[in-house]
Amino acid sequence: MTSVTPKLSTDDVSLLMVLLDTNPFFWSAANATSLSFSKFLSHVVAFLNSVLLINQLNQVVVIATGINTCDYVYDSAAAGAVPNQRAEILLQKLVEFVVKDEQLGKEDSVNGIGSSLLSGSLSMALCYIQRVFRSGPLHPQPRSNLMKLLVWWQILCLHGSPDGPEQYVAIMNAIFSAQRSMVPIDSCLLGAQHSAFLQQASYITGGVYLKPQQLDGLFQYLSTVFASDLYSRNFLQLPKPVGVDFRASCFCHKNTIDMGYICSVCLSIFCKHHKNCSTCGSVFGQAQSNAPSTSNQKRETPET
Amino acid sequence: MPQVKIIAKNFMDMVASLPALKLDKLYDNAFICEAILRSLPPLAKKYVLQMLYIDVPISAKLLQEWVLADGVSKHNVAVDRLVQLRVFIETVDRKKESTYRLNPKFQINLQKHIVHGGVLPREPMPSTITVRLPSLEDLEAYAAEQWECFLLHLISSAQAERTTNFSSSMMKIFQRGLLSQRDKEAPKLTESGFQFLLMDTNAQLWYIIREYITNSEERGVDTADLISFLLELSFHVTGEAYNMNTLTDIQRNVIKDLADLGLVKLQQGRKESWFIPTKLATNLSISLSDLSSRKQGFVVVETNFRVYAYSSSKLHCEILRLFSRVEYQLPNLIVAAITKESLYNAFENGIMAEQIISFLQQNAHPRVAERIPSVPENVTDQIRLWESDTNRVEMTPAHLFDEFPSRDVFEAACDFAREYGGVLWEDSKKMRLVVKAEILGQMREFLRR
Repeated sequence: MTSVTPKLSTDDVSLLMVLLDTNPFFWSAANATSLSFSKFLSHVVAFLNSVLLINQLNQVVVIATGINTCDYVYDSAAAGAVPNQRAEILLQKLVEFVVKDEQLGKEDSVNGIGSSLLSGSLSMALCYIQRVFRSGPLHPQPRSNLMKLLVWWQILCLHGSPDGPEQYVAIMNAIFSAQRSMVPIDSCLLGAQHSAFLQQASYITGGVYLKPQQLDGLFQYLSTVFASDLYSRNFLQLPKPVGVDFRASCFCHKNTIDMGYICSVCLSIFCKHHKNCSTCGSVFGQAQSNAPSTSNQKRETPET
Repeated sequence: MPQVKIIAKNFMDMVASLPALKLDKLYDNAFICEAILRSLPPLAKKYVLQMLYIDVPISAKLLQEWVLADGVSKHNVAVDRLVQLRVFIETVDRKKESTYRLNPKFQINLQKHIVHGGVLPREPMPSTITVRLPSLEDLEAYAAEQWECFLLHLISSAQAERTTNFSSSMMKIFQRGLLSQRDKEAPKLTESGFQFLLMDTNAQLWYIIREYITNSEERGVDTADLISFLLELSFHVTGEAYNMNTLTDIQRNVIKDLADLGLVKLQQGRKESWFIPTKLATNLSISLSDLSSRKQGFVVVETNFRVYAYSSSKLHCEILRLFSRVEYQLPNLIVAAITKESLYNAFENGIMAEQIISFLQQNAHPRVAERIPSVPENVTDQIRLWESDTNRVEMTPAHLFDEFPSRDVFEAACDFAREYGGVLWEDSKKMRLVVKAEILGQMREFLRR
């Protein structure tokens, strides 16, 4: 008889946050070209099923990203033990969400394809992860030699709408807090153009950025690239970033700029020269001679 | 061909060692496909998922391109495992290039699962019929009690208060390997018997189930049927009641045995009877030892080598007696001391220091379990030291070479042996050399030249 030591093969547990882009303007535009929303959903549901299939400890949370609001749509931990109703629960909640999103948006009309509220859903995902970290036994403790379950979260953005430059600060803050809590952000781009925000998000947090060539085979892309747990990623050939658009948006007009002015105190970015910093209030001098130093009065960045 | 030898360390190894025909039959059952998939190494799971909708065979070369250079060994392990379990069907073409494709039955079952989501093996009974279902805590307590009773019965049938329904021949089978009985003497625990007692519940359970499965043929139960039923059982929901009428006759017999082990609880209603799976059953297919399945500890070890065990169980007392001197027993407390003599006794019986330490750590009382280390370091160190006392002499099979024809040959032989790391001792004056037995073949070859 061999002595059996308890083996902890918990390396491959993955807890996945999926952010679904439900921007109606984007999907109505995409409907004509390649992938309709319903097809997209069937790919996603199959993907969620497969993630939950490969490990009994895996957990999936879905957050819908609308243009006016975002909300939790599905949580496999809360949904009970009836696996064959997964799709129904998800779809029902999604319908409720879309209706709510539409009602909220009636006041201001958006021209063209608006951007969806990525910053909001990213923050919600991070809040959820923080809540689990703090409350449960699932807190990652690399130092402890106790047999704690090491569980890592990851965020997957299925995103199609163009970037909203006005969300720049909020998204960057979310990215940095994801980096701090070691949560990689994967992004899968469904639209025609690349997203600078998500490129940066994946680059900074060590996630994967991918823009599938053929959206018909979305499931294959998802299962090949994004279903891999963080442990296996060390051994797998995954798509490498081709180039990352590091351009920032200015704080004053929310334009994406190549070159600009930066506040030496709080590092806020402006597209043209200002008398004083709108974020921290420092006064900028025209020339070096008449620049009184008021740098110590630092204020926090207001949340946008 | 698979290069890894199969040792049935858990359920899946057992499944892997089944003949191909039976294995293919097993894959008819969707739950088995699911359980098998979950038991695979992470990379292997990934490959299955990736190939789920690919109908053409994929060459081994292409498969290799999926991993980075660092992962090649893991890749090979994953592919071997898949071939072993016949999830991958390997074909070698004329150019000696092997291609893989998924087992069609396996593929179809998983495709169904992914599209429709999973289903439950049976519908639980409506709560109107089963009024008095036990709570989850009660169920766990029941399972623990049942299991303990079985263990006590196993090691010394005299001490058990209740008898189990296992026939004595069945019991003999379980005891085989754990107990040795000389003529007219009371049965004595063997080395592996001691080790068995110190293992955690999941490992013990697996050992018993393995014996149960290997002997199923003698009782006229098909091994594959039994395995598929056990795996199916692990997909039931803990604490729900399931109707006995949904089982076949064979399964009904099996489930009675399982009830004795504490895997299920049987209840009888006015008209119908039902079974309720416990945690032991649902954890059966999970290869990792889940923290939640561990019961609460009861042992406090002090730095003065005293052991306080807050337990009233006879089994715990028996286990403690294996490696410590039990000093007194109170209704809810056993006080024992770890002494040199008691440990030497344990070592003589074949228990290893690490097993004792891990037993103490795993069963640490919640009050001390939070502390790191949960067992005082001086105690664990001393246990290890006493163990190393008993193995002062290390034996290595070796071969002696002497009467070398010349010093050159001797030195060349020494260098050769050193290259293989096989030199144990050399005496250059008398030209004698002792090498490990493993490299004898190479040495012979070398000296012949």
